[in-house]
Amino acid sequence: MKSNALRINAKDNVVIATTPITKGEQVIVKGAADQSLVAAENVEAGHKIALAQIPTGGKVFRYGEPILEATRVIARGEWVHVHNAQPIPGDLKE
Amino acid sequence: MDFLGYKRENGKFGVRNYVLVMSSVACANGVVDAIGRALPDVVPITHGYGCGYGPADMGVSHRALAGIINNPNVGAVLVVGLGCEVLKADYLTQVAEGKPAEALVIQESGGSAAATAKGIEIASRFQKQLRTQKRVPVPVSELTIGLECGGSDALSGVTANPAVGAAADRFVREGGTVILSETTEMIGTAHILKRRCATPELGEQIENLVNNHERHVRASLGDLAGMVIAPGNIEGGLSSITEKSLGCIMKGGTTPITEILEYAGRPSKRGFVIMDTPGYDIDSMAGEAAAGCQIILFTTGRGSTAGFPGVPVIKISSNSRTFKNMPGDMDVNAGAIADGDKTLEEVGHEIFELSITVANGARTCAELNRSVPFNYLKQGPTF
Repeated sequence: MKSNALRINAKDNVVIATTPITKGEQVIVKGAADQSLVAAENVEAGHKIALAQIPTGGKVFRYGEPILEATRVIARGEWVHVHNAQPIPGDLKE
Repeated sequence: MDFLGYKRENGKFGVRNYVLVMSSVACANGVVDAIGRALPDVVPITHGYGCGYGPADMGVSHRALAGIINNPNVGAVLVVGLGCEVLKADYLTQVAEGKPAEALVIQESGGSAAATAKGIEIASRFQKQLRTQKRVPVPVSELTIGLECGGSDALSGVTANPAVGAAADRFVREGGTVILSETTEMIGTAHILKRRCATPELGEQIENLVNNHERHVRASLGDLAGMVIAPGNIEGGLSSITEKSLGCIMKGGTTPITEILEYAGRPSKRGFVIMDTPGYDIDSMAGEAAAGCQIILFTTGRGSTAGFPGVPVIKISSNSRTFKNMPGDMDVNAGAIADGDKTLEEVGHEIFELSITVANGARTCAELNRSVPFNYLKQGPTF
């Protein structure tokens, strides 16, 4: 099976869509389909999908590093972006 | 593992054996270009300054140009000056380390036509000398690899940059050196880079460098700073500047940071080195070439065509569309990772193997196209 998403680091709790993924479609990482991971909504290539539920204030990990914090509960399979996560305070000097 | 390179007297090894013909000042560019037309195998470098600037820019340009003269890919150098400029030709030939170097001054040589004729004679003699040199086996640990990105897209941080990071890790494992530049692209990751430094002192240094650069960008651009200090590509899926910048610094791989260099500085340590350069890729590559990088790995999504004079630049496309649309410009297709055809590790290995082939003499797309723009960092006013 052809993969449609990539997990860059083993610590990551999101995968990156490598092709557009439609709502209800299986998210396939490295050719191995995880039956239970289904896209909760349409996701464009390059965007992030939650691998596990992220609580409000929980960190989003990509490249094995925290890149965002959730502004509400993000469910497994949900698109992760600026509508449900924000930059981590202190990452920038000002 | 070995590659086949040219031994230099300062202990470095080149992957090319060029005669460099460089202007010390913009007024000498006509003569340098004319020599380049007469001798297509020399590497001509012309630029816009060498005069009319303050001491800080004079220092940076001297360091950059001197560094490029001492790049191991350069076997011999002819520097052409005008005569009345601030940065004189012999200020540059004096610092050439154990390689044939001559200065030619147009005002003392009977003008442009006579200087061109004399320059062709000198450069031809250098070419003849270099032809007698043979490649010898050299350990891969003698390679210094520049890491660059330009014209990035949403997949750059997913495919091409992590694949280059895998290749960078391999070079460092072999005992070699990789140089990650573009301080602008590190904004938002100071705390992460700090943690990855080999010593606490380096950690402080990188934190100050990135934070000062952020302040510099805010002070210089004012309300427009958001164009630089921003995720850059929200539509492409980047949600924070930290996420964007992490995608860029992935090119450096995962080994500890061993040294932090000023622009066009020369590394004294091996391993993963960082250089303070602007995000502008041409200025950044000049800094890396001056540091002694014999090869540059350059990732792109939209399709950058830029190589660099005298330094083979390997172009790595982040997506298959650009790779197919610009077949004569792209050397590696990291888009195969997004297509599910190859893994990051496989493309990283491919980049490493191709680098060795290129070190041995194979030409990159940018070399074949002679796409070799040149510029270096200038920050102060012109007088």
